[in-house]
Amino acid sequence: MANYIVTSTRLAGFKPGDILTDADLDGSSIEALIEGGHLSTQTAKKSAKTKDTDEKE
Amino acid sequence: MATSVYLSNPNVTINSVDLRDQCTSATVNYVYEQLETTAFGDTARKFGGSTVTSLQNNSIEIELYQSYAGSETEATIYGLVGITTNVVIAPATGVASATNPIYTLTGCYLESHTPINASLGELSTITLTFTGGVLTKAVA
Repeated sequence: MANYIVTSTRLAGFKPGDILTDADLDGSSIEALIEGGHLSTQTAKKSAKTKDTDEKE
Repeated sequence: MATSVYLSNPNVTINSVDLRDQCTSATVNYVYEQLETTAFGDTARKFGGSTVTSLQNNSIEIELYQSYAGSETEATIYGLVGITTNVVIAPATGVASATNPIYTLTGCYLESHTPINASLGELSTITLTFTGGVLTKAVA
């Protein structure tokens, strides 16, 4: 099941940043919501691990 | 004393998108098609009956201000032409109740849209008609 991230303030019952599934949008055209800028298929990614690059003495 | 309805802040949701602040008019038409059941022996025409269930033929008409800004009217509506969606209308925001029935037209079809409907010196508006679908009324 695909996940979508809310990207507009207009999606009823949700706020920007919420993660939704198809079940949350039952009956709605997800394609139209993505096209209209209300949803994105890109979910937030985990930040990459940092590597300590300081030179050790 | 009789009461009247004054709609100032209704709930208008098209394809899960809240467009209340762009909406100036909404009409929900709840229709069961009329089937004639008149037969020999009747002295007047009859329609329907307890054993005859006809098809719903519902529609919702909505007038919106046009806006081409991101996530506004045009962005929301353009992709809905030619497909089915859900439209939700209620007299007020908030939960469903006897005094705030929420009407949902599920699986309704948007046949057409006028992306440009502009006249000099006037705000651009669009009128949408969603047809078909099953109408439900929630009061709780």
